Amino acid sequence: MSAVATPDVSVDLAPRNPRELRLRNPIIAASGCFGYGEEYAGVIDIQRLGAFVSKGITPERRSGNPMPRIVESPAGMLNAIGLQNPGIHGFVKKYPALWELWTVPAIVNISAETVEDYAMMAAILDEQPGLAGIEINVSCPNIARGGYCFGWDPEMSAEVTRAVRDVTTLPLIVKLSPGAADIISVALAVEEAGADAISLINTIVGMAIDVRARKPLLANHTGGVSGPAIKPIAVRMVYQTAAAVRVPVIGMGGIMSLGDALEFFLAGASAVQIGTAIFVDPGLPIRLIDELSRWLDNEGFASLDQIVGIANEGFRLGERHVLTAWEAAGA
Amino acid sequence: MQATAARAPGRGSSREFESTVLAVEPIMGDAILLTVGAPPSLVERLLPGQFFNVACRFPGSFDPLLRRPYSVYRADREKSSLTFLVRPFGRGSAWLAKRAPGETLDMLGPLGNWYAIPPRSQRLLMLAGGVGVAPLVMLSDDAAAQGLDIVFVMGAADEHGLLPASELRGSIEYLVATDDGSRGHRGLATEIISDYVAWADQIYACGPEPMYRTLRAVADPLRIHRRPKVQISVERGMACGLGACLGCVVETRRGMIASCVRGPVFDLDEVVI
Repeated sequence: MSAVATPDVSVDLAPRNPRELRLRNPIIAASGCFGYGEEYAGVIDIQRLGAFVSKGITPERRSGNPMPRIVESPAGMLNAIGLQNPGIHGFVKKYPALWELWTVPAIVNISAETVEDYAMMAAILDEQPGLAGIEINVSCPNIARGGYCFGWDPEMSAEVTRAVRDVTTLPLIVKLSPGAADIISVALAVEEAGADAISLINTIVGMAIDVRARKPLLANHTGGVSGPAIKPIAVRMVYQTAAAVRVPVIGMGGIMSLGDALEFFLAGASAVQIGTAIFVDPGLPIRLIDELSRWLDNEGFASLDQIVGIANEGFRLGERHVLTAWEAAGA
Repeated sequence: MQATAARAPGRGSSREFESTVLAVEPIMGDAILLTVGAPPSLVERLLPGQFFNVACRFPGSFDPLLRRPYSVYRADREKSSLTFLVRPFGRGSAWLAKRAPGETLDMLGPLGNWYAIPPRSQRLLMLAGGVGVAPLVMLSDDAAAQGLDIVFVMGAADEHGLLPASELRGSIEYLVATDDGSRGHRGLATEIISDYVAWADQIYACGPEPMYRTLRAVADPLRIHRRPKVQISVERGMACGLGACLGCVVETRRGMIASCVRGPVFDLDEVVI
């Protein structure tokens, strides 16, 4: 018998769902940064990941935004890809059957402009093999509400969550937008509406100007900022959200190292997603799995859940105001 | 084509590896030739036009964050080394141009498709604009080794920006054009290719996008049934290099295509430029 104790880093991201979303480890490749998994299959051992989230799928095929779609920013990048994807019908023809052959859990990210379309996609996905769960991207314009972003409004986010919950028993993650004026209200609303887990943060809307041409650098004008530049914002939002809700929180935003990932766990994340870092350091997610186990072992922890939220005074206590007004204002 | 197919890398052959800088030599004004070591199996299977995404920052730094794509200027299969042409332009290339022998670089590759030399091709016209000359040097190395006839045309702002003729191996006809007339034809390189368009079996080009538009304007009236074929290499800002982010797409007749995996080499007749 081996005397070496290996810390338990497994996690169930859907504890209130009988279907569970059990991962062998808490390291997930983030949507939009990992294609459909196959793109990285030759570069890293993707089957070792805790899970991966597909590129965002929409009701219809989308050819995406004009170029340029990406531009570098200080310690980060802006992207405005425009959800280029084959559409839900093109997607189901290829990927569920492929993913069924894999051991790594595959999560599908979905985006739509109406509540009905979210539900339509979820109903189709519910019948597919090879899927471990759905991640709802609510950072899309709601056509019925004049294009106001679903994710900025608690009621609209809840409506989408409820509509998807009604048509599928698949584990459901709702990915929150940091553009919400009150992210805690959105988190509580989607939890109430049936989300099994909450992931955050999506990119932060930003812009860069070409000084010589005197116009925006991105063809779409605005884009989502990601990378290490946004990490402190993400850690703060995970800290606040993990105090308010009882479902698992999946943290992301600028993770480039074990130290970064640990910040999210200590703030209350039960798992983390790695996004932009994969572009520049594709080996990072796999290294993190090993480094996390080693760190827990060295620090004397028997399992990952022993560190989740321990830097967070209000962790899972329903503490809506875990930060004082002055702290929340950054003062 | 059989020789090419035998060492075709295909999808899934890319990897991340650390390489050591072996040599740095100045060339073409303020540019450098950066030679690095690489695994022999990788160098052996590399094809002209393929590229590597190079991290252009010190380990532990996140700025500039994104890797920079560099196509291979020359591959030495005996020494198992790769040479890149680097002109300091932005922050990434400025960092890379300051590296010294003995330092290590984080590379991801080889990435992308390659310039194809179809069977029975004998006469190749190559058109280079500025630092776009890089992949055509490797292509001309391979083509000259196969005994093919090559006309190599290069354009630059001035004579300092031109590739020295001594860098081309084999008996290659080398014509140059400069914007200021300091060497060769005064004007654009595309203005001196007319005589060779009908002569060539294949045309290969690498340079800025406006060059492709003038190439199309000059070559199309001289081509018959879209022959000779024109293969161009497209440069796009990119993030992943593996077809995952879709940040580097090129508009083609078949839709928006990731230039990092189904490019950077495209048929000029297929792309909307």
